[in-house]
Amino acid sequence: MSAATVTLVPSAPGRGVWWAQTWAMSKRSILAIARQPALVMPSLIFPLFFAALGTSSFGKATVLPGFPRVNSFLDFSLAGSVVQGVLFGSVTGGTALATDIELGFFDRLLATPTSRVSILLGRLAGAAAFGAFQALFFTLVLIPFGVTIEAGLVGVLVITLSGALTGMGIGGFTAAMALKTGSSEAVQGSFPLLFIALFFSSAFFPRQTMQGVYRHVANVNPMSYLVEGVRGLTIDGLTLGHVAGALLVPAAIGVVSIGLSLRALSGRLAAR
Amino acid sequence: MSTPGTHVLAHAEQAPGGTVVRSARGIARRSLRSIVRLPSAFFPALLMPIFQAIAFSGTFFAITKIPGFPTDRSINWFLPLAASMGAGFSGIGIGFATIRDLESGFFDRLRMAPAPRTSLLLGPLFAAWIRGLLVLASVLIVGFAFGARLEGGPMGLVTLTAGGLGIATMGTGWGLGLAYRFRDMRAAALMQLTLFNALFLTNAQAPLSVMSGWLHAVARVNPFTNVLRLARQGFLGDVTWQDSWGGLLAIVVLSVLALLFALSGLRRLADD
Repeated sequence: MSAATVTLVPSAPGRGVWWAQTWAMSKRSILAIARQPALVMPSLIFPLFFAALGTSSFGKATVLPGFPRVNSFLDFSLAGSVVQGVLFGSVTGGTALATDIELGFFDRLLATPTSRVSILLGRLAGAAAFGAFQALFFTLVLIPFGVTIEAGLVGVLVITLSGALTGMGIGGFTAAMALKTGSSEAVQGSFPLLFIALFFSSAFFPRQTMQGVYRHVANVNPMSYLVEGVRGLTIDGLTLGHVAGALLVPAAIGVVSIGLSLRALSGRLAAR
Repeated sequence: MSTPGTHVLAHAEQAPGGTVVRSARGIARRSLRSIVRLPSAFFPALLMPIFQAIAFSGTFFAITKIPGFPTDRSINWFLPLAASMGAGFSGIGIGFATIRDLESGFFDRLRMAPAPRTSLLLGPLFAAWIRGLLVLASVLIVGFAFGARLEGGPMGLVTLTAGGLGIATMGTGWGLGLAYRFRDMRAAALMQLTLFNALFLTNAQAPLSVMSGWLHAVARVNPFTNVLRLARQGFLGDVTWQDSWGGLLAIVVLSVLALLFALSGLRRLADD
């Protein structure tokens, strides 16, 4: 019997056990991230690299018509970096779940008296915790380079919470894919889709400067509104609209994705 | 026992004269067959540059309005970057395939075949060139459909091909050298990251005259800036010797160095 299954043995009946199980699963998925930093390092380094590249390459674009008033391109790019990093990091959680399925650990969990939902929620809680860490990490790293958060400390907290909700929301999609396919390769294959969703939004450039079909796609892409919420907190200040964009959009994405992952979970359980 | 790959080499050895080229052709043919047999390994390398050309052109459309930008069509700026990068990653893909052969033990059988060692470098190089040409052609077709224009006439295709195949050669040498040294998938991340950084720390996203800060200083001395200038010039205006010689020189020097790196790795592999 492994250490992980020992922690799943209920010590008290009822709701307390359910929480204990979910907490144990969450702890396991968070520790898995901490123990394999090489897996998540790219999702921390690449967004910073792109922010640095963008600031040098597109610094002069901030005076173009349609560009929001910013102190520097770095202020503009913080939101894109946060969402980009959290999106890429979310693939890691889904891949880990698929790996559990491939290696048979998922079946071992099912053989224990663990709540099935706890297995999924634990994984999503791990994604949320890592999303919050990423959002805070990007903000704190970029502040010394000149980024100003106009919404202040409350803004930083909202951005961190937004990172958690985005991690959970996108993690729900990758978890659904993991449960549906049981293949880590298939989950990794979702990476280009996330990349496309990110690029056809206002993550890297304002919608107002885009034209034609790109602008139409960015206008209907929820990622645009999520990024603009976080960006508004950075460059405008604390407003209800920006807070709503930063929190409600990822929450709505989460409702859909968690619904899909629960459905995929029950499909997998029914197929056993 | 003979497998398709070793059979080709054995057959080549029996043929009088031109053994190196014949063996290399056999290895190249095997590598190209894997496009059909393992499409999941090649198609991302084909689709990513197409996506990059389209997404970058749409997202960063507004940068063409920055005073001093050399074209008013963003696709003209980003298409050569995407095509050259795609060709370069075709070379890196050959490195991935070599790792698979090393891990499965097939490469040992190739080494035991009565074929010249140089064919183990030339074969993958030929394959990388053909894969690179496929990528270049695909990106060009899609790019023209999205409004790209050859401002410098057909010579622009020649310089783009020279730039693309040059980067493919460097990518192959670098990829093979790392594969022979690491002999497992740890090399894959290093191959991708280094080529990615080498290409992005240039005038990849914006011309030197538009850049500011640290990237300008790095891009000015990065030889890949010259290669991109060579590849791009036909899409920005007339093809000139002034915009060509630096790129051609960089291709020759870096290709020789990369192939020597691969050759020394192959020798080290033989010594172990």
